[in-house]
Amino acid sequence: MEHEQNENMQQPIILSLDDDFSLIKRFIDGDELVFSELLKRHKEKVRNIIYITLSNTDGVDDIAQEVFITVYRHLKSFRFESQFTTWLYRITINKCKDHLRKKNIRSIFLPLKDEEPVFESINEDTDIKHIVRNAIATLPDKLRIPLVLKDLEGFSYQEIADTMECEIGTVKSRIFRAREALKKILKPLEKELML
Amino acid sequence: MRKNKTDIELLSAYVDGELSPAEKKNIEEKIKSSLELQKELTDLKKLKELTSASVDRISESPFFETRLFANLNAESKSKINLKKWIPISSLTIVTLALMAVLKFNPNLLDNIIKEQESNLVGFYKENLQPLLYAANLTNEDIFNFAVYQELPLDNTNNQILKLGYDTKGAEYFEIKKANEIKEPDNLRKFVAALDFDEDEIKKVDSIIGSYSNQISALVLVNDQNAVAINPNIWNTRKLILADILAFAEKHASSNFNKMIPNQTMQFDDRSVAKWVNEAKAMKDNQYIFCTSDSIFKEDFVFDMTEYEKNLEKMTDNLAELSEQKAILREYRFKVDSSNSRKKRNADWTQQFQVFVDTNFIKVSVQNFIVDIPEIDLPNFDSIAIVIHEATQNVRSVRPPAPPMTVGNNSYNYEYNTVAPRKKGRTDVNLDSLMQIKNKQNNKIRIEQNENIKSDSQNNSIQFFYNDSLILMHNQELKKEMDNLRKELQRFRENFKDPQLKNNDTIKKDSSNDVDIIEI
Repeated sequence: MEHEQNENMQQPIILSLDDDFSLIKRFIDGDELVFSELLKRHKEKVRNIIYITLSNTDGVDDIAQEVFITVYRHLKSFRFESQFTTWLYRITINKCKDHLRKKNIRSIFLPLKDEEPVFESINEDTDIKHIVRNAIATLPDKLRIPLVLKDLEGFSYQEIADTMECEIGTVKSRIFRAREALKKILKPLEKELML
Repeated sequence: MRKNKTDIELLSAYVDGELSPAEKKNIEEKIKSSLELQKELTDLKKLKELTSASVDRISESPFFETRLFANLNAESKSKINLKKWIPISSLTIVTLALMAVLKFNPNLLDNIIKEQESNLVGFYKENLQPLLYAANLTNEDIFNFAVYQELPLDNTNNQILKLGYDTKGAEYFEIKKANEIKEPDNLRKFVAALDFDEDEIKKVDSIIGSYSNQISALVLVNDQNAVAINPNIWNTRKLILADILAFAEKHASSNFNKMIPNQTMQFDDRSVAKWVNEAKAMKDNQYIFCTSDSIFKEDFVFDMTEYEKNLEKMTDNLAELSEQKAILREYRFKVDSSNSRKKRNADWTQQFQVFVDTNFIKVSVQNFIVDIPEIDLPNFDSIAIVIHEATQNVRSVRPPAPPMTVGNNSYNYEYNTVAPRKKGRTDVNLDSLMQIKNKQNNKIRIEQNENIKSDSQNNSIQFFYNDSLILMHNQELKKEMDNLRKELQRFRENFKDPQLKNNDTIKKDSSNDVDIIEI
């Protein structure tokens, strides 16, 4: 009897009603309506991560739909070993990577286009944001994704490491290398950008 | 340079606020003392500011949730539907495939059924043998068959083939257990009642015996417990009866008329020959097969001549069987119904009606009989004494006539012919005349049933035994004769010698001598 009481004493995980875990528990218990609450909380963040990762608005919502369908399917097997967001963002980044991989493969079979010279000449009216965005877009995925997660979404190195399933040192190194690469790209526009 | 690179990497992390306090303190000291690091820090901060400001937040998607739930519903629906339709769709595919096969090969099922049927029929047709050989059919049995419509199917007389008429007058046959105990020696009584002499008895025997093979070929059996019965067996029975009665009438007309006093039927050779021809004109290649699982009619030709070639071998086997006192198999029928054949064999069911029970089969026959008038004889036991007394003082007068052969090889026997009598009609059915009498006789017969076995086998053995006795007696007689001859010789020699005279001896020997001469 005492043992049972002890177990009961150990069990309580005090979760507020707005906590992700409690919502997930209710979902697992059969209350599938709470999924819309989870969706409401995280959809914009997910959509933005997709947007900055792809550097493009095309297909953002399609990928976001895929992300949440996957979450809905596997939410009942969620093991509460990490934060829900870590799991959610990992799924998001993986979906983005899949999308980019498919896009790269498709581009092999597409006829070559005359790429617009992004940074060669800049008019006075040129939007600095646009220039920087294009510069970021030219970075390789493995450098760009940690950088944007850090600078645009404010992820910590640890969060980026968890999301991308790599070491924290790797994240630090990749962010540094991304910045070095950006500096080189933007060097000709040093004056305009007041770097 | 490497040192610088490491420091700059630390600076990057410093800008991001990701250094440990120790690392932070360390790099801050380095920044203070290095202009290069200070410049680098400024650039990194400016770059971070640019990148952070480079991307605006993406505008909200108002229909995102609606679209998502629509997708989720569609997905779950399609999943459920797919599962639901898997068994039905597979069934549909199989059905369509079967329809396609049957469209291009419409007779497939019929062929399969026919093939199986022919296999089954072939199976039951194998090794068919005349059952009645196995039953050691005697003239007595054939006579009983002709008169009382019963044939024993096995040695022990446990099962019989019974022909009869149902209430509507339709003919049927039954295979059933023999309930009644047969009266013995009906043929002998019949012959005695008609007061036949030895020659006539032989002729009657030859007439009856001539049908033995024919009857045998009509009931066939095999190892598969199948019994094949030729419907012609009814006609054959009537033919035998008519033949016997025709002979009886011609050879002992007065006694015969007393036995069947009211008969208006004439059994002359012409009508008998006509019936023979009619019976032979009937299709005799169709047998009714009674098997353990079905009853069917099938064409089957039984080659009697070929069978007779193997007869010797078979009789040897039978002798062995009878030595071992082996009981021939019993026929048991377990048949559910014969309905399945009704559709396919409408004519068959019109001709035959089959009734099946666990221990007997009854097959009714319609439209399969030759119009031979039916004659039933009275019970011989009941009238034997009367006939005997009546015939004591009456001698039948038979006009002498040359013997004549009727029919072909199958019915090869001789009998004397007389001119057909003119009175009466030739096509009167005697059934109505004899019906009342038959009923009475049947009652009497059942009452008189006693536990007596008719055993024709014993008769034949006894006959053989008599023969051997005669032989034995002859041998003894020969010996005695030899002894007598020797004594006579001695007596003659003694007679020449007067000293050895003895009157008594002479008398005795002379009497013996007479005996010898007589012999």
